[in-house]
Amino acid sequence: MIRFRALETRAVRRPPLPLILVAIAMLALGETASPFLSGLRPAVERHARARVAANAGVHGLTGSAEYDDEIRNRAVFTAEAGLSFFHTHAGGLAPLVLLAGTIVASVVPGVATRGLLYVLLTAAALFPLGYLAYALAALEMGRESGVALAERYVLTPLGSAAILALVTLAWALGRAGRARDHAPRVGQAT
Amino acid sequence: MIEPPVAESASGGYGGSRRGPPSNQSPPSNQSWRLPPIPVLLVGVVLIACAEVGGASMAQFKLELTRWARGIMLARPQTHGLVGVRDVDEQILDEALVKFDAGLRLFHLHAEGLGTIIIVTSMVAVSVVEHAALRRVIVALITAGGALYPLGYLMWSALIPFQGIARGKAVAEWLVWIPFGSAAIVAMWLLVGALAVQCARSARGRSG
Repeated sequence: MIRFRALETRAVRRPPLPLILVAIAMLALGETASPFLSGLRPAVERHARARVAANAGVHGLTGSAEYDDEIRNRAVFTAEAGLSFFHTHAGGLAPLVLLAGTIVASVVPGVATRGLLYVLLTAAALFPLGYLAYALAALEMGRESGVALAERYVLTPLGSAAILALVTLAWALGRAGRARDHAPRVGQAT
Repeated sequence: MIEPPVAESASGGYGGSRRGPPSNQSPPSNQSWRLPPIPVLLVGVVLIACAEVGGASMAQFKLELTRWARGIMLARPQTHGLVGVRDVDEQILDEALVKFDAGLRLFHLHAEGLGTIIIVTSMVAVSVVEHAALRRVIVALITAGGALYPLGYLMWSALIPFQGIARGKAVAEWLVWIPFGSAAIVAMWLLVGALAVQCARSARGRSG
C-alpha cells in the first residue's frame, strides 16, 4: 500500500514583497510588449531596419541590394524573435517564480536557505530581459555578436540562477520531507 | 491510502470563512496569500477550460473547420480578390487559411496564459494592496481585460472568411484587442506601482 502524506504547514505563506514586485513588474513589461508584436509591428520593423542601416559596418552591408536585403531581413527577424520570446517568457516565468517563492516561504526551513532561494528566484524572474537584450544587441552589434553577448552576459547567468533555484528548492523539499517523516506526529495512533 | 490534509493546513486565505472577507477589508498583516473573489477564480478557470476545449477542437475538427472557411471564402470571391485562375486563387486561399488557423492557435495560447495571469495577479492584488478601491479596480481591470482579450483571436478567425484577413484583423483590433488589452496592461502597471510604494514604505519603516 502506498501512503501519501500531505506536507503540513500552518498557512500558505507568500514570499517577500521585493520578489513579488520583480515578478509582477516583469509580467507587466511582458504584457506591454504585446502591442509591439501586433498593431505596432510595422513601426518596430521600420526602427529595426533604420538601426541596421545606422550600423552598416557591424552588419557587413556591402551596398549590393540583394545581399544587403538578406542581411537586413535576418537581423530584423532576430530582433522580432527576441521581442516575441521576451513576451512569452515574461508571461510564463512570473507565475512560476511566484509559485516557487510561495513554496519556499511555506515549507523551506532555515532563514539562510530561504534567503538564498529568494535571491536566486529574483534573478530568475529577470531572465526574460535577456531576450530584450538579444533583440537590441542584434541590431546594434550585428546579429551574431549581439546574440552571443546576450547569451553570455544575461541569458546564461540568469537562466543558471533559475535552474539552481529549482534544484536547491527540490533538495530543500527533500530534506523538509525527511525531517517531517522522522519527527513524531502529534496524536498519531500507535 | 491518501491521508487528508490536516484542517490547519488549508490555504490560509479566507481564515475559515467560506464566503471570504468583504472586499473593503484591508489585507491581513500576516504573510499569507488571500484568494481572490470566487467570480474571479471562476473566470480564470473557465477561460483555461475554453482554451483546452479550443485546442482539442482545433485538432479534432481541423478538416471540417478548413472546409467551412474555404467554402465561405469561395462564396465571396470579391472580398478575397479571387480571380478565377487556379494558381493565383489557391495561393490567396492558402494564405487566408494559414491566418485562420493561426487565430485559433493564438486564442488557445492566450486563453491558457491569461487565465493563469488573472488568477495570479488578482491573488497578489487582494493579498498585498492596502487601498481597497485600488484593489477592486486592479482586479476588475485584469479580470475583464484578461478574459476578453483572447476572444479577439476567435473573432479574427471567424471574420477572415467573411471579411478578409486585413479587415477582420482591424475589426478585432479595435473592438477587442485595443480596449481589453489596454485594460489588462493598465491593471498590471497599477499593481506594480502599488507594490513599489509598499516596498518603499516597508524599507523606510525598517530603516526609520
